Amino acid sequence: MMSLPFVLFACGLGAAWMRQRGVAMGFWAVGLVVMLVLFRVHVTEVLNIQL
Amino acid sequence: MSADLSRLLNAVGLLAISTVLALALIDQIWFGELPCPLCILQRAGFFAAGFGIALNLIYGPKPSHYGIAIIGAVSGGAISMRQILLHIVPGTGSYGTPVFELHLYTWAFIAFVCTVIGCAVLMLDDRQFSRVEPMSARLKPLPLSALLLFLALAIANVASTVALCGAGFCPENPSDYMLFHTTPI
Repeated sequence: MMSLPFVLFACGLGAAWMRQRGVAMGFWAVGLVVMLVLFRVHVTEVLNIQL
Repeated sequence: MSADLSRLLNAVGLLAISTVLALALIDQIWFGELPCPLCILQRAGFFAAGFGIALNLIYGPKPSHYGIAIIGAVSGGAISMRQILLHIVPGTGSYGTPVFELHLYTWAFIAFVCTVIGCAVLMLDDRQFSRVEPMSARLKPLPLSALLLFLALAIANVASTVALCGAGFCPENPSDYMLFHTTPI
């Protein structure tokens, strides 16, 4: 699961290399969303900061 | 600034990002410091940022490519900032060994900020965008090396993350590679 962003970015680089710009940007966008979702999943602790 | 000079500077930038990612892998493999989930996501953030720079190398400089790099760097920076805030209060611990008195997530945040500033500075010169460049069939050695290194590091990180976490989520404080961990019978 955690390797998914790397897989998507690597696929995007491959698509860019094959001159498929739209596909490459699609892979990047999905990879970014997956990365941010995984970030959200791992943000479980409350910050120990009193403002 | 010509498109060729812009490509050269982008190649240097991509090599800088690749160096950061390579050092993180060396720290993991050579020194045995296994990355936490947030550390892995920060690596992904570097790939998200470097992706835009890689597109600049392949297709020539475009504002949208710089935008991709900036969005990726801001996302990665948010992740490293979260990890900094987790440990910012004295006595709340830290993760990993400091390098030059700063932890790797702090260095990562600095690198993300530098990426955003670098992209913003490069975007200041409009002349690189004025000429519609034909897609060159061949890349020059430096951009080509930067691209191949970046792609190799992406594949290496897939292998590393699968070895560390298997198919699921990573443990908060990994102590061993889950893929190679065998439970005693």
